Amino acid sequence: MELKRVMGNRRSIRYFEPDKPVEKEKIQVMLEAANRMSRSGNIDYWKALVVYRDELSPETIDGLRTPTTTTDLDLAPVQIYFFADLSYADPNNFKRNLRDLVNVGALNATHGWSEAYIDETVVGQLVGPMLKDPQIVGWMGTIETGLAIAAAMLAGVDEGLGMCLHAVNQETAKATFKYPDHWVPCWTLLVGYPAEDPQTKGQRPRRSISTMAYLNNLDTPWEEIPEVTERLKSEGLIQGDVDVAARQDEVRQLARRFGLPE
Amino acid sequence: MTSSTFDVAAVASATTVRRWFTSARYDGDPDEEKQARYQLLADFCSHIDQSPDELVESLIRTTKKGDLAISSKRRTVVDASINEFVEKAGYTGRDAVVNGNTLRSFLVHNGIFIQGRAWTGRS
Repeated sequence: MELKRVMGNRRSIRYFEPDKPVEKEKIQVMLEAANRMSRSGNIDYWKALVVYRDELSPETIDGLRTPTTTTDLDLAPVQIYFFADLSYADPNNFKRNLRDLVNVGALNATHGWSEAYIDETVVGQLVGPMLKDPQIVGWMGTIETGLAIAAAMLAGVDEGLGMCLHAVNQETAKATFKYPDHWVPCWTLLVGYPAEDPQTKGQRPRRSISTMAYLNNLDTPWEEIPEVTERLKSEGLIQGDVDVAARQDEVRQLARRFGLPE
Repeated sequence: MTSSTFDVAAVASATTVRRWFTSARYDGDPDEEKQARYQLLADFCSHIDQSPDELVESLIRTTKKGDLAISSKRRTVVDASINEFVEKAGYTGRDAVVNGNTLRSFLVHNGIFIQGRAWTGRS
């Protein structure tokens, strides 16, 4: 699929085919997409734990439920736990990986980078002070993990999968999976084949970008270029609004299929 | 099934039940389905000895700032009561899931965020 259509097709899927297996090959595609995403300093910020629901005991699944993640755990065959691994915050990681980036011509003298800078002063000048601030360490770890998750999600959509991010029941997850203390759980990505229309009868509402983006100064909202908007509609990034009546019918059918509250 | 001490007609006309039916668009459903829902709720109300309105009210608390919020502790208790009621009433398999979730639907449409398990054929 073309990238813009993949982005336009993504929805938060909440009804999955509970017994349709998700191929490990497709999960690998998602993980590799996460691995190829932008990451400052080329640092490994994220960790992922892929869990197949049917490998968990019913008691563990019960323990993983949260008030907002109960039904979905029954329906989604795969759970991917994404963590920000705060052990990244070691100056030596930055020194090593920045050096790699200099060696492969990603960071160059044209932009002020040199082996000497990295070997001699980058820690004292840039990395050291940054990594001493826990707020910055947490912010960087989670935002970089978020970028990786976004890439994984789009790759999954391209593979025909549906998915939705959910809160992590940290108490049970920690006891069950025994992840290290420096792994901060960010989201659980529940994955499966959609039991609902993958396009959910239309795109969910989004406010115009002019309400969020500005040009040159904050007094000038970004003015949409109508031709671009039209092109994005034809390329599938911007899709039609939800057909509410059709969606309500679909939800009622899904509720009856899975015995859920209507 | 437990024998209900709550009058089905009174349950059907309770404010919270009217709100449930309107919000879930149940009013146009066949009479038999509507009666079954009233009866189920009446039986559950007998099980917990609370009217529908009292049940909803019991789940709402006022925060220190004066806002309304759902009591998480009470919700856990009510959720367990639903499961207990369904089991005691002898429902199994799909019927257990559906009837439990019908009761949760009553709460959901009265603003109580609660999720139930899904029937996948394995539970």
